[in-house]
Amino acid sequence: MIKIYLQLFIQFFGIGVFSFGGGYATLPFLYDIAEKFHWYSINQLTDMLAVSSVTPGPVGVNMATYAGFTTAGFLGAFTATFAIMLPSFIIVSAVFKILDKFKSNLYVQSVVKSLKPAGCALLAAVGIKLIFTSNLHLIGTLLLITFLISGFIKKHDPIFYLGGSAIAGLIIGHLRWIGV
Amino acid sequence: MSMEKSFFSIFKTFFKIGTLLLGGGYVILPLLTSELADKKGWLTADELCEYYAISTSLPGIVAANTAIFTGRKLLGTKGAIAAITGVTFPAFIIITLIASFLNEIVHFKSVNYIFWGVGIGVITLLFLAVKEMWEKCIVDKYSAFIFAGCLLLALSGKLSPAVIIILAVIVGLVYQFVQNKRIKND
Repeated sequence: MIKIYLQLFIQFFGIGVFSFGGGYATLPFLYDIAEKFHWYSINQLTDMLAVSSVTPGPVGVNMATYAGFTTAGFLGAFTATFAIMLPSFIIVSAVFKILDKFKSNLYVQSVVKSLKPAGCALLAAVGIKLIFTSNLHLIGTLLLITFLISGFIKKHDPIFYLGGSAIAGLIIGHLRWIGV
Repeated sequence: MSMEKSFFSIFKTFFKIGTLLLGGGYVILPLLTSELADKKGWLTADELCEYYAISTSLPGIVAANTAIFTGRKLLGTKGAIAAITGVTFPAFIIITLIASFLNEIVHFKSVNYIFWGVGIGVITLLFLAVKEMWEKCIVDKYSAFIFAGCLLLALSGKLSPAVIIILAVIVGLVYQFVQNKRIKND
């Protein structure tokens, strides 16, 4: 039983070290964990993301707590949250001491310039994978296209998309247009 | 108005920020500015802006990094611990409550319909986040090349995200090394 907490710790520590780009940046790693360890399903992962986007707190922390809880209960939630934060603590403390050198270093700037598009690409890849693995049906695909077009035209609050899609899901499900 | 900087007062301030944070780490900067610079006068808005900017160039959760930076500046390691536990605490409690509740109700049909729909909302949010990141970080041929390369590697499904990130770091270092050489030769 101790083993699961140790594995959780290692995986989430890894996310803390390698995730890059803020907000949803931890998602590609959580997706990878779902595929490798089956601690939670991909469907559960999208539920987690939905809840994390509309509850207070940093999205990355919310997701870690949620994933840890789903994997191994309260103690799992604690382990995952602590583990994802620990690298931040170490890295920020180290950088804090050499702040000016860090900022002006050309290699640092170049690495950051590579990491930002890399983080963006990892997230885009998860989005594309989710389209193919979620059972969207034709009606869901149309809904997604509508949402994306409206989002690209004008920025709305996350609750707009999540609330709208929740209501749509409820109606579509009860009309039996989809078999969920 | 200046309040004494103690472990507890820092914890309390960040706890409050944690309950007000909604929708990702980006909103932490205005919250920090209002709480720490305007109300308490512990730090200047410029300092906070700098910590936030560096936090986005470091691995990990941006809001967590910013909290650790700020806490450390206020009261050393003790301050950093107070800040990070404070900002995380509300999220931790709320999420564990919601998670235990949701795990109880997932077997209802209507809940499944809702989750099916919400899945679509989530994919939308994800692509909107990609769009926002894209606008900030794809600035030239080099960054577009990194994006395309990482996307192909990630979609091929053979490499884990961590390995792709390490490759991006190596490419960044090599790129700078080559540029340094070029400048020297000119």
